[in-house]
Amino acid sequence: MSRLTLPSRTLISLLAAASFAPLAHAQTATSDKQRVEELEQRLLILERKLEIQTEEAATKAKEAPVVTASDKGFSLKNAKGDYEIKFSALAQIDHRAFLDDDGAFRDGFVTRRLRPTIQGSAGKLVAFRFTPEFAGANGVGDGGATSAIVDAYFDLKFDPRASLRIGKQKGPIGLERLQSGGSIELIERGFPTELVPNRDLGVALFGEFANSTINYTIGVFNGTADGRDVSTADDGLKEYEGRVFFEPFKNDFGALKGLGFGIAGSTGAKDGNGNNLIARYRTPGQNTFFTYDATVLASGKHSRYVPQAYYYYNSLGLLAEYAVSEQDLTRAGTERTIKNDAYSVTASYVLTGEDASFKGIKPSAPYAIGTDGWGAVELVARIGALSIDSAAFEGTTAGATANRFANPATQAKKAESYGVGVNWLLTQNAKLSTDFNFTQFDGGAATGDRRDEKAVFTRLTIQY
Amino acid sequence: MKRTLIVLAAALLSTAASAKDFLNVSYDPTRELYKDVNTVFAADWKAKTGETLDIKTSHGGSGKQARAVIDGLSADVVTLALAYDIDSIAEKAALLPKDWQKRLPENSSPYTSTIVFLVRKGNPKGIKDWGDLIKPGVKVITPNPKTSGGARWNYLAAWGWALKQPGGSEATAKDYVTKLFANVPVLDTGARGSTTTFVQRGIGDVLLAWENEAFLSINELGPDKFDIVAPSVSILAEPPVALVDKNVDKHGTRKAAEAYLNFLYGPQGQALAAKHYYRPRKPELAAAADVARFPKLPLFTLESVFGSWAKAQSTHFSDGGVFDQITGASK
Repeated sequence: MSRLTLPSRTLISLLAAASFAPLAHAQTATSDKQRVEELEQRLLILERKLEIQTEEAATKAKEAPVVTASDKGFSLKNAKGDYEIKFSALAQIDHRAFLDDDGAFRDGFVTRRLRPTIQGSAGKLVAFRFTPEFAGANGVGDGGATSAIVDAYFDLKFDPRASLRIGKQKGPIGLERLQSGGSIELIERGFPTELVPNRDLGVALFGEFANSTINYTIGVFNGTADGRDVSTADDGLKEYEGRVFFEPFKNDFGALKGLGFGIAGSTGAKDGNGNNLIARYRTPGQNTFFTYDATVLASGKHSRYVPQAYYYYNSLGLLAEYAVSEQDLTRAGTERTIKNDAYSVTASYVLTGEDASFKGIKPSAPYAIGTDGWGAVELVARIGALSIDSAAFEGTTAGATANRFANPATQAKKAESYGVGVNWLLTQNAKLSTDFNFTQFDGGAATGDRRDEKAVFTRLTIQY
Repeated sequence: MKRTLIVLAAALLSTAASAKDFLNVSYDPTRELYKDVNTVFAADWKAKTGETLDIKTSHGGSGKQARAVIDGLSADVVTLALAYDIDSIAEKAALLPKDWQKRLPENSSPYTSTIVFLVRKGNPKGIKDWGDLIKPGVKVITPNPKTSGGARWNYLAAWGWALKQPGGSEATAKDYVTKLFANVPVLDTGARGSTTTFVQRGIGDVLLAWENEAFLSINELGPDKFDIVAPSVSILAEPPVALVDKNVDKHGTRKAAEAYLNFLYGPQGQALAAKHYYRPRKPELAAAADVARFPKLPLFTLESVFGSWAKAQSTHFSDGGVFDQITGASK
């Protein structure tokens, strides 16, 4: 090797390089191909892992419980939606003022309703609702200040056509009574509600037919005095209540879509004395204008019938009902059937253009700071009257044989009321209302008529 | 009155003539098999009894299907991947007796299968046996044994092979399976997902597969794409079948359910099993050409290596079990 000249060495090096170059090139190409394949595999693996993660996330999302918070409350339910628990509430704070009453009635603030509600479903069959009242019985004008249970019932939902409701629930008779306390047009319900049961304890079968255009309820209950709540079986007797309601154009889009009409009634028996058995009636100002004498007893049949209707078309709403309550009473051996009746017609109009509805109004532009939304404004008006059977005032008044059921010098024979008001629904959760109800009476005073009642009520409603 | 009786009789007759519902809850890879079985059995049953059966089959991951039956899916019969899944139905929902597996021959498994390797055409990585799966650079595709019945068979087959090697022990088997899962780049939740990963996404060098799934992949995508490699030894997978006593008594389908399961052991059932690449218990009842397709390889039973499904489950696949330990080690 040492004998090779420099040019020779250079030539050999060049030849060697030339002869090994294809092999080196081939090795490089193979290595590059492997590297590309390896990188391609890695990319495919990453893509597949991402795909699997996405599939797993989608599967988990389908099975995960759903938590919702909305203007209708807070709820937690399983992915299928058949197990759910929902929290909602209704709170109403009123200010009550009575004009020209010479201090006869108490002006001031009242916590009218303070009702948290827990409701939900346990599978497709079972639903429940539990609503305590923390405003005390004062809120409904019954006296006393204890808390109470408003609703406590279970539903067994066998079929949309036939479900059972068991427990304490609204009696199915009065149309305005069935409307939610947060959705009624005027601050207090009208006179017919004074003649129908409020909440009652019992079992009701309910359902709907014909594409929801016919709904019904029939049930057996402990029975209540007119307009009142009951939670115990005072006399061991029962009351049978029922209602059928038609909305024949509910699924159409014409002017009659919002028409509903029906009839409700009850029959049963009551025996004895006490606020759960004997009626006493209030004005829209929540003042009692009629009670029976303390010695009057319920002594037999008590029945009611209530034709009712509503009509909603665009911003206009009309609700009307007529109620008759007929009850056998006795005092000092004298039995009479007393037939009291009441009616009311309520009209409403939403100035801001939203649709009026039995279930309330949903503001199209809810009030919100910094926006143009001011909520919805509704004007309302109502006329109504409650008449006491003249037979209640017949009879003698003195001694052991006194058999007059009510004293015309203290109890009015009739109350007739006119009301107007305005509701400002800031949002679906907040409503400010004010109304004025003028009520005049027949009788009810030592001389002439009981003093007219001029009630100005204002209310803040918070509900979700 | 006469008219009423006629109407009633017509109603009864129409009820009798209407098809009776019948549900077989099965696992994923049996779709093709039970499609054929249902058709042939329904015709056979109609010819023998005059009764029309509307047989439906539900498919999904074996464990998931078992949970569905426990939760109320009203199966007349279950045909699942693992005896453990039917044990769960017996224990948790008491829908059939705990000794259900003794009621039919061959551990209530009318057909068997095994675990084989599906490799890319020409077997570029030269994979011939279980030992090749842990070589560096070999990517193995198998689903997650925590979620897939098929994957448990894969895992137990690999474990059993390692135990049978010279000097094999629990420790060497654990070491082997740890290395094996270190070579698994993607863990799908089910057997069909793994097949998708390997066959359609082109990931990996070898798929550990049910034998029938491996054959189906080749049939669907062409023999020019994949080869089946039979390892030196594998596990005898015994997919069990059982009638669900409480449900058949409620539906009035006990006789049909018994006949349906017995049909699987008969000539037609065994022939259909072989046609769909399940190994028939009685090969002489199946078409010879179908039986000839199965590679000959020694198969060990789960009981011979692991004792029972319950024991294998608690040792290897329960939370904190061996699989959790080795996947923690392989991360």
